[in-house]
Amino acid sequence: MSLLQHLHGVSIRAKFVVSMSIMLVISMLIVSGFLINRQSHGYRRELQATGETMIKIMAMNAESGVLFGSAYELNDLMIVLKEFGTVESGIIMNRDDSILAQTGHLCFDTVQIAALRRETRESNAFGFEYITDTTGREYLVLAAPVTSEQQNMSRENLGITGGVDPTLASSRSKETIGWIELGLSVENVDQAIATAKLVAMLVTLIVVIATIIVVVAVVSAVTKPVTELVEATDQLRRGDFSTRVEICQRDEIGQLATTFNSMAESLKQSRDEIEQYNRTLEEKIIERTQQLEEAQTQLIQSEKMSAIGQLAAGVAHELNNPLGGILGYAQFTLEKLRKNVPEKTTPKDIESYTRYVGDIETQARRCKTIVQNLLRFSRSSRSTEFEEEVDVNQVIAETVTFVEHQFRISEIDLEVNLADDLPVISGNAGQLQQVFTNLMINAMHASEKGTAVRINTRYSPALGEFGGALELRFADSGHGIAEENLKKIFEPFFTTKEVGKGTGLGLSVSYGIVKEHGGEITVTSAVGQGTTFTIVLPVQKIAPSTDTVTELGEKHY
Amino acid sequence: MAKILVIDDSAVIRSLLTDFLTDIGHEVETAGDGDEGVRKARADTYDVCICDMHMPKKNGYQLLTDLGDRKHNMQFIFTDSMPDHLGERISEISDYCQLRKPFDLTQLRTVLEHTLASVKVQ
Ligand SMILES: Nc1ncnc2c1ncn2[C@@H]1O[C@H](COP(=O)(O)OP(=O)(O)OP(=O)(O)O)[C@@H](O)[C@H]1O
Ligand SMILES: [Mg+2]
Repeated sequence: MSLLQHLHGVSIRAKFVVSMSIMLVISMLIVSGFLINRQSHGYRRELQATGETMIKIMAMNAESGVLFGSAYELNDLMIVLKEFGTVESGIIMNRDDSILAQTGHLCFDTVQIAALRRETRESNAFGFEYITDTTGREYLVLAAPVTSEQQNMSRENLGITGGVDPTLASSRSKETIGWIELGLSVENVDQAIATAKLVAMLVTLIVVIATIIVVVAVVSAVTKPVTELVEATDQLRRGDFSTRVEICQRDEIGQLATTFNSMAESLKQSRDEIEQYNRTLEEKIIERTQQLEEAQTQLIQSEKMSAIGQLAAGVAHELNNPLGGILGYAQFTLEKLRKNVPEKTTPKDIESYTRYVGDIETQARRCKTIVQNLLRFSRSSRSTEFEEEVDVNQVIAETVTFVEHQFRISEIDLEVNLADDLPVISGNAGQLQQVFTNLMINAMHASEKGTAVRINTRYSPALGEFGGALELRFADSGHGIAEENLKKIFEPFFTTKEVGKGTGLGLSVSYGIVKEHGGEITVTSAVGQGTTFTIVLPVQKIAPSTDTVTELGEKHY
Repeated sequence: MAKILVIDDSAVIRSLLTDFLTDIGHEVETAGDGDEGVRKARADTYDVCICDMHMPKKNGYQLLTDLGDRKHNMQFIFTDSMPDHLGERISEISDYCQLRKPFDLTQLRTVLEHTLASVKVQ
């Protein structure tokens, strides 16, 4: 990761502080390094100059001492020398380098000192060298010749006095009579330099710290509102639209804060509007759903009523004939018996009576069967218990008794072929009866007089999950269903029948019931040739969740 | 003594009417559906026709229209289980007596006597 990329993750404040500090430290180091360097050079030059002056004065003062080899005088000089703190050692030698006086003792590197001596002896002049002694301490070693003006001496000796004769003066020559060497300690200088460095470093440190503090303060002052804005934006992002920033600045950040606040305000407004809208929408949806549910319940109820109405006509016909028979034969027999004279009763009379009463019994039984069927239908219609053992053949036969009269009147044959090997299935007989009634009535409505509606049942072990399935066919030779309607017939309220004759709910309810039984209802139709509805009901079905059962149970029944 | 044609799809009603009407001295002929009824009505003359309004292969109205002018030769008593539009349509083309099923034999007798009386008046 490059430095730039690295910086991306760092806060503005840190970026500022770090870069400012680095710049500051670097510039301080450069400046103070430069100054210290300059100063240390200055210190050395100063030391050299002092040393040179000192050694020259000493050389002058040592002239007579060397000339006369007076150790006493020279030692005095040495004592004076010692007064100077920087002077570590001093040696005065005669021309032959024999030591005349000495103070301090230095173990100089003989090679270096020898080089200095050779150089000064050759040039017969002042010279100096920085020499490190065996203990590692550095010294400035200076060497200067001690000279004597010999010709002057001879003039005096000759007794020439007065006047200044430049030619004479120029003829004067200096003669080197000895050497003086001084060892000045550089330590003090180094110490001064070290102190200067330390001071410079301290100053740098103080300045850096002070700068950092100032920078942090300034940067904080700048970034605090930015941080506040960032936090507020984050709160906004998390959906707290009441967030506001309180920054009363007149600069760009202040403007940003104002803009932010107004943005938050308009966001809050639009959110509130949306929420309000959602609430009303929800209420409306709930209201509409309720209305729709009510309408649907009513329609389903009316579909049921119309189914019952259709049945009622059939049932009335079915019941009225046997009832009329019973009533009539009962009255007839009674009347005959009242008029009857026992003595005149013939076996033929008895035979007639038996037939009449037999008819009464037969018809009463027929009434009983019809009433039982009706009761069973109404009971299972109302029953919320979905799972019962249903003999589909029996349900179809019962349904047929309710509709056959209408078929007979419409002169449509009802050909019922029930397989006798049908296993019972689990389901709801009442619901299935409603399906069958609707299919039969639909077929009847579509059929022309003189045609037949064929109902077949069949057991197919190969169909369904386990235990096979029942296949029920309701086939008519009626007018058929147009291609474009074929998709719609299972939709609620789709009907091609005149108002009052069909609600269009029959097939949609039937579809729901068959699905509820885990089955399928399919249709094939050819316009003008007829229609066949096929229902496949599994003998064992994978039970749907109890929720749907009760829901559907309540909805339809 | 009258000649009566009974048209009804219910066997028990046919046999009851035959037994009863014969017993009270009438001559009875029966038909099990509208077609048979038309055939018998054309083949013979009857004083009264007791006819079920709802039957396979021709309801009461169709029977009347099929008989054409012949319907005026006899009186009609229509029986039905519940009132519906068929009754109205029949009354448009014919006067008739109506008997709601299930009927009493005394009721039938009264209606029949009333009908026969009107035949005699004619
Ligand atoms: N066997 C059939 N032959 C021809 N068309 C049919 C047949 N069965 C149903 N249809 C068509 O499907 C439509 C919908 O049938 P569905 O049973 O759902 O309603 P409906 O019979 O019109 O009214 P309802 O059954 O509620 O009294 C019918 O109007 C009819 O057009
Ligand atoms: Mg229908």
